[in-house]
Order: sequence, then C-alpha cells, then structure tokens
Amino acid sequence: MSLKYGVMGLLAEEPLHGYEVKNRFEAMLGGTWEVNIGQVYTTLQRLERDGLAQPVGERGDRGKLLYKLSSAGHRALDEWLAQPDSGPQQLHEDIYVKLLLATRLANGELGPLLARQKRAYLQRLRDLNQLEDRARRDGRNDLARLVRGALLHTEADLKWVDELTADAHGGKTE
Amino acid sequence: MGGRANGRRAWWEDGMSEIVRVSDLTKAYQGGVTGALNGISLAIEAGEFTAIMGPSGSGKSTLLNLIAGLDRPTGGSVTVAGTDLGRLGESGLARFRRDHIGFVFQFFHLLPNLTALENVLIPAQLKSTTSAEAAGRKLLEQLGIKEMADRYPAKLSGGQQQRVAIARALINNPALLLADEPTGALDTASGEQVMSLLAELHRQGQTIVLVTHDAKLATRHAARVVSIVDGRVVDDARLETTERAAADVIRVRSEEMTR
Repeated sequence: MSLKYGVMGLLAEEPLHGYEVKNRFEAMLGGTWEVNIGQVYTTLQRLERDGLAQPVGERGDRGKLLYKLSSAGHRALDEWLAQPDSGPQQLHEDIYVKLLLATRLANGELGPLLARQKRAYLQRLRDLNQLEDRARRDGRNDLARLVRGALLHTEADLKWVDELTADAHGGKTE
Repeated sequence: MGGRANGRRAWWEDGMSEIVRVSDLTKAYQGGVTGALNGISLAIEAGEFTAIMGPSGSGKSTLLNLIAGLDRPTGGSVTVAGTDLGRLGESGLARFRRDHIGFVFQFFHLLPNLTALENVLIPAQLKSTTSAEAAGRKLLEQLGIKEMADRYPAKLSGGQQQRVAIARALINNPALLLADEPTGALDTASGEQVMSLLAELHRQGQTIVLVTHDAKLATRHAARVVSIVDGRVVDDARLETTERAAADVIRVRSEEMTR
C-alpha cells in the first residue's frame, strides 16, 4: 500500500498539519511503519497538486499549514477503499530466490537452508504472538487483527518449509 | 495463582539440571511406519518448557509415551530424573510414573463415576499421601475451578475437565509434566486458558514437555521447539524470549512514490 491513501484517510477525519499526520499515521500502524516528515510533506504537496487535498487558511505558528481532503479526495479515497487488493501475489523475501539458487548451486542440498529458515519462522511466530498479546492488552484490537494476519502468514510459511523438509527427507508430509 | 500447593520445590532447589535424557531411542511397530521412532536423542533441562512438534504420524506422541514410561522402546534408553526407565519392572515403572510424572491427555481421561476432586486424588491415594484432599482442593483453586470440586465430569465443560486432569497430573508434585495435545479437544478460548495455566506452572518452575502440531501454540509458550519428522529430530530450536519492538517484528511496506 502507499502512504498516499493512509494520509488521505487521516485527512478525511479532520484537517491536520504535517506533524499531526506523521504522528497519527505512526500511532495507527502501532510502530510497524515509521515515516519521515519529509515524506509526509511531499505527499501532502502532491495531494494538493492533484486536487485531492487543499490547505485550510494561512500558515500559522512556525509555518504550520493545515490540510483537508477535497471532495475529489473523498471520492478517490472511497474508490480505493472499495477496491479489493488484486494483482500479483507479492513475495518480497529472499528465501524464494535462495531456494531456487540453492537447488542449482548446492547440488539440491536444501536441508540446512530449510532448517535455518524454519528457525527464523518459529522465532517470528513467537515474536508475533507477543505483539498480538501486547496489542490486545493495549486495547488495540485493530492492530491485533493486523498482527493476526501476519501470524497466519507465518504459519503458512512454516507449513511450506515443513513440506519442503519432508520432501528433502524423501518422506511424505501427512 | 499464588505459590504452589503442597510445598512444591522449585527445580533449582533440587540441584539437578537434566531431567530427561533420551538416547538413540527407537520404536518399531508391526505393519507400518506410522508413529515409529528412528533413533532419537534429546536432553531436557529441569525448568524448561519444550514443545515437540511434527505432523501426524511423525512419532511425537510415541516419544512422549516413551518418556512417560507408558510404553517400552524397541531400542535405546529413557532416563527421567536420574532413573533409567528400562531398568524398572512393570510395578516399579508404574510407581515411578505415579511419583514423578504427570501426564495430560487430549481427551482428559477422567473417571465418570468420581467427582472432580476424587479424580484429582486418584494418584495421591495410590501413594497414600496425608492431607491429600487439602492439597487437591488447593490445586483446584489454583486452576480456577475450586467450586467444581464435588461435581462429576459430565457436569463440567471440556476446559474444566482438562483443568481437573491437570490438577490430577500435578497432585504428586511430578518432576516432569507431559502434555499430549492438551487443547486438541477444546474450543479456542478454553484452549488458551489451559495453555495460560501451563505457562504459569512453568513460571513457577515446572518442567513441561508439550506435544502439539500447532506452531502458534508451541512458540507462544515454549522457548524450545523440537521438530520431528518420520521419527527423527530434524530441528531443535531455542527461541529468544526478549520482547521486540513492533518495527522489528512487522514492517508494513510502502511502495515508493514515483509521481
């Protein structure tokens, strides 16, 4: 996703200046996405250029300028929210390419690669468990839902590695 | 939960660190390989919370049953709290199990014609412990089901029955608590309660070995995860337990703005 729609969503609630956008955005994401203030200002300027947001009043204290979402911005935001995420599945992690290369370079010897990856996934699962607990303790059920998504992805990653491991051992999975 | 009932000693007071040693353990079954063990070696320290994971038929339950002395291996040895189980006869093994090992099963295995408290006291009465009843009631209180003491299992929910089974497993202060898919027959909420109880027992020093196919459950509570595939240990991971910042665990990704 892009910062653009996150900023637009926050401006849809009420007019904000750059620092408030940054703080609210990071709080909403619960620390899982840190943005620098420069990115926020650039985004706001682009939204203004494209007619999706507009400044409210004059520059105030220390040059702070409030932005609000324009009616075109509201329409674009609603459209984006209504649009399901389609397009290709994103596989960002190196393991996919490592797996292909290891098959070629290490005479198909995948065991150690898979074992190390499995440990990393187990550790991630433990960390995600803690993060989910923390989000619930803090009353952030919205964030807990996000973490839950990550958790289920990691469980799938683990299953995948287990399947590959069983194949590598010449056995069957179940 | 407060301190342990009936004067449980913490593991470090026993001055012993290794509680289980399994050496080159094999178990063969006639007519198939399901659940067979093909040479497993493993040591478990006192105070550890270990999860044994693997797909069904991988041998993880077989391993737990052999550690519990519920079954005899084909080859290799199992030593629990310094005792080689292979050297014990049937009655000696039964006595050892009763005194040193608590076992929690997926399907509770409570006797239907005994009350919750009476079920908890079965192992204690076999051992003729004095004041067992007070200890039993204390355990039920610790596990949050004090008021269920005089009810029969049929009148208890699955989660309550499992807590009774945990109390029964703990009544003789076992050195080792073994649990085979203890949440497998429970709904999510009851399962989480049962797991929280096990985690609390672990914090109080109880050595626990948990068999599960559920990775989320395993990693949530156990700091050590042993993976078994086809009767062999394929991984033995000790996880870091320090809490991490959100940004070190999840990164919601931003696409670069290009226009």
